[in-house]
Amino acid sequence: MKILLINIIDVGLGNVISVEHWVKSCQLSSKRVTDVNQLTNGPIIIPGVASAGEYMSRLKKLKLDIEIINRCQAGQKIIGICLGFQILTNYSEEDSGVKCLGLINGITKYNKDKNTHNGWENLKIDTRKIKSNVSFPIKRVKKIDGRVYFNHELMVAIEEDAASHVLNNGVTSYSFKNNIFGFQFHPEKSQKTGQDLLNLII
Amino acid sequence: MSFRIGATVLLDYNGKNALQSYNFNTKRFLGSIKNVLSFLNSYEVDEIHLIIPVKGKGESTYRALKDLKDIFISTPLSIGGGLNIDSLEEITKDPYFERLIFNSSLFDNHEVIKQATLKMGRQAIVGSVPFILQNNKLKVYNSRLNKFINIPDDFWMNLNLLCNELILLDADAEGNKTGFNFRVLEFIKFPIDRVIISGGISVKDVAKAKKMNLAGVSFDNSILHSEFSVEGLR
Repeated sequence: MKILLINIIDVGLGNVISVEHWVKSCQLSSKRVTDVNQLTNGPIIIPGVASAGEYMSRLKKLKLDIEIINRCQAGQKIIGICLGFQILTNYSEEDSGVKCLGLINGITKYNKDKNTHNGWENLKIDTRKIKSNVSFPIKRVKKIDGRVYFNHELMVAIEEDAASHVLNNGVTSYSFKNNIFGFQFHPEKSQKTGQDLLNLII
Repeated sequence: MSFRIGATVLLDYNGKNALQSYNFNTKRFLGSIKNVLSFLNSYEVDEIHLIIPVKGKGESTYRALKDLKDIFISTPLSIGGGLNIDSLEEITKDPYFERLIFNSSLFDNHEVIKQATLKMGRQAIVGSVPFILQNNKLKVYNSRLNKFINIPDDFWMNLNLLCNELILLDADAEGNKTGFNFRVLEFIKFPIDRVIISGGISVKDVAKAKKMNLAGVSFDNSILHSEFSVEGLR
């Protein structure tokens, strides 16, 4: 039996260990990817906890930016977490402005008062409603209902149709479109809800 | 945003054991940090603050970090105690913590906080201010000096510039269930919705802090001796 191996991008930034623990907690396997040649056909996770400028610079240096774009366009699943979600957009205001991967039509910006968003929010996803937005069969889970952990300063503004949810403070909590999944919160630090989410999308 | 119920855990220099502390000074081993974190994770506390009580010894968190990374946990973690450029380098190389907690650097080493902000973002920066109220005067703890001092003139301004959130620890109440001294909030010049209180927290204090719109509470090591229903406190 072929084992699904999840690729976790490791450019020397981001909370890779926590993502590894998350994957393992769902009885799945992962490998760290530090070079384009190490990528497998499994889902690709881009972790969070870093700044956009430095992260994009390292992706480019390793030529992982082009490879991720190509693989995404070929239908490979891409999962972006927090900063990983933000760099899927066209552009981020962080670090005086950074061109990002452009896989999600939208931008990443500071909120008006430049406040950060730390803490837990409720999350409800009716999986029946996202079926038409994703290019893979949804598992037989009717809903995700729990709490998720946010810890960020910038936020994503999506300018395309996607299954997404915007919180009262304007933060796009998540976005599902075709084979691209973005989470502004940290599913790897969201206890059981985070595990439910990974089981849903993998 | 929901009010947070967190836990503060003191950690030994080697990162292996949790420590008990009363009134900010008495310590003894409580057991393996792995077990402590595992059951706090099972309690589903909202966040865990790990503090290495350096108390003037100038130790770094560097040694404590390696073993911690193997601990399987899905609860947000912060770490503090002796953070310097070297330990920061170690942390950001392969970060296992969402947030960093600073105390003595608030007084005399802003550079390390600025570096931390560049590497992990402003949302990751938390100031820790243990305090005592003496003769109606607020004194704050500087871990490098290992003493409570009068508040320097630019303290609040720097705190606001450098830190995203503030943990106020009632040193006199630490390790007890005597209740947090809310009078301290009269002296604080920091947005109250970004303040987490700790030290002597009682169930009543949780309700009061919630009503006052504080960011959250962090139970000190008393949580390790009692059964708490975190869900009930929420």
